[in-house]
This record gives sequence, structure tokens and C-alpha cells, in this order.
Amino acid sequence: MSTTSATTSGSYTKTITVVTLVLLILAFSFSSLRRDTWLQLYEFFLWMETTPFGVIGKTWGAVFAIVEAFHLLAMALLGGAVVVADARLMGWIFADIPAREILDKTHKVFVAGLIVVLATGIFMACGVAGKIYWLPVFWYKMLALATGIFFVFFIRRPLLRRDLNEIRPIVVKLVAISSMLVWVTVAATGRWIGFAGS
Amino acid sequence: MSEEDKNAAKMDDVQTAAVAISTTIIVFFVIYWAIQIDSVRDLLNMAYG
Repeated sequence: MSTTSATTSGSYTKTITVVTLVLLILAFSFSSLRRDTWLQLYEFFLWMETTPFGVIGKTWGAVFAIVEAFHLLAMALLGGAVVVADARLMGWIFADIPAREILDKTHKVFVAGLIVVLATGIFMACGVAGKIYWLPVFWYKMLALATGIFFVFFIRRPLLRRDLNEIRPIVVKLVAISSMLVWVTVAATGRWIGFAGS
Repeated sequence: MSEEDKNAAKMDDVQTAAVAISTTIIVFFVIYWAIQIDSVRDLLNMAYG
């Protein structure tokens, strides 16, 4: 490899990682590996129901309901942070406040919300593991959640930490729209689980 | 490569990666929700004609 091409590929590490990851996910989705992995996970989901979280979640409906309440409140916190930051990036709201200030503050709220969402989500998943395993919408939620977390910490945050004036406006708007879309999908598929397969 | 060039290359990289992943997300989830809405319309048609 010449020095120039080595330097070029070296400076496009993030792009290469993203494209490789997308291609790997596509290959996984359209191969028998997806079904094999799903079948192998069945034992794990059965085990989840036998953990203390699973037993508490299944036995005491009130505990499950309280944890779910915190899950929804944290989701509202996370969703609020996403909407405020992305709407500011689109130029829809708070145009008189510097975008940097809003992005930094909402990111802290987002991280706090995400931690509570994940902690309460794991508890709830243990309680209904036998049900959610069979729901396609649960797997779409996991895909959206993993995509959202990867997107925020690997792409959105590193990009928006830079000088916003140096970023092409179309890129900022694309990031804002995809961010809202992915987190709306996380929230919608999450609520859908509650209405599915009962 | 000067420090300025390195910063510019890094900026290009993160912007290209952002465009790639954002486009993938938008295309995938728009198709996903379009299919879901279509299946609801089919169900409503079957139920109410």
C-alpha cells in the first residue's frame, strides 16, 4: 500500500467502521446465522426469568409497575433531551440560545435518562423474558436501541463536539432527523411490546 | 501532514460517517414504518372492508 492511500484510509477510520458494520448487519440479517443465534438465545431468555429480577417481576405486579413507571419517566427524560437538542439543530426552537450550550446540557440529561432506561429495562425484560423472546417488535426495539446508542456516542457526539460552523448544514440536519427517527422508534416499539402477544 | 490538514481530514471522516449512518437509519426506519402502516391498513380493510 502506498503512503498516500495508507494515510487516506487511516483518516477515514470512522467511515470505514460504519460501512463495515452496516454491511455485517445486512449479511447477518439475510443469512441463516440470524435464526441460529435467535434459537440459541432461547436458553438465555429462560434463564432470565429464573433470576431474582425475573422472579420479582413475575410475582409482584406492583414492583413491576413501579419499575415500569421509572422506565417511562426516564424515557420521557431521554426523549425530551433528544427532541430539544435535535429541534435546536434543525433551527425550530431556542434559536436565541447558542446550540453548543443546549447540546452540552441535553447530553447530560440524555446520559442520565439512558442509564435509568437500561437499568429498569433489564429488570422488566427479566420479568417477561418468555413473552418478549417471541415478539419480532422486541428485536426491532433492540436493533433501534443499539443503533441509537452507537449513533449517539460514536457519530453524533464526536461530530457535534466540533465547531458547528465548520460542519455542513445538511449533515447537521441529517443527523438531527435520523436521531429523532431512531429514538421515536425505540419509544414506539417499546410501547408496542406492552400491547403485543398478550 | 500538518496539524490543520489532520483536523480537516478527521472532520471529513466524521462528516462522511455521519452521512452514511444517517442515510442508512432514515432509509431503514422509513421502510420499517411504511410496512407497519401498510399492514395496519390491510387489517382494517379485512375487518371493515
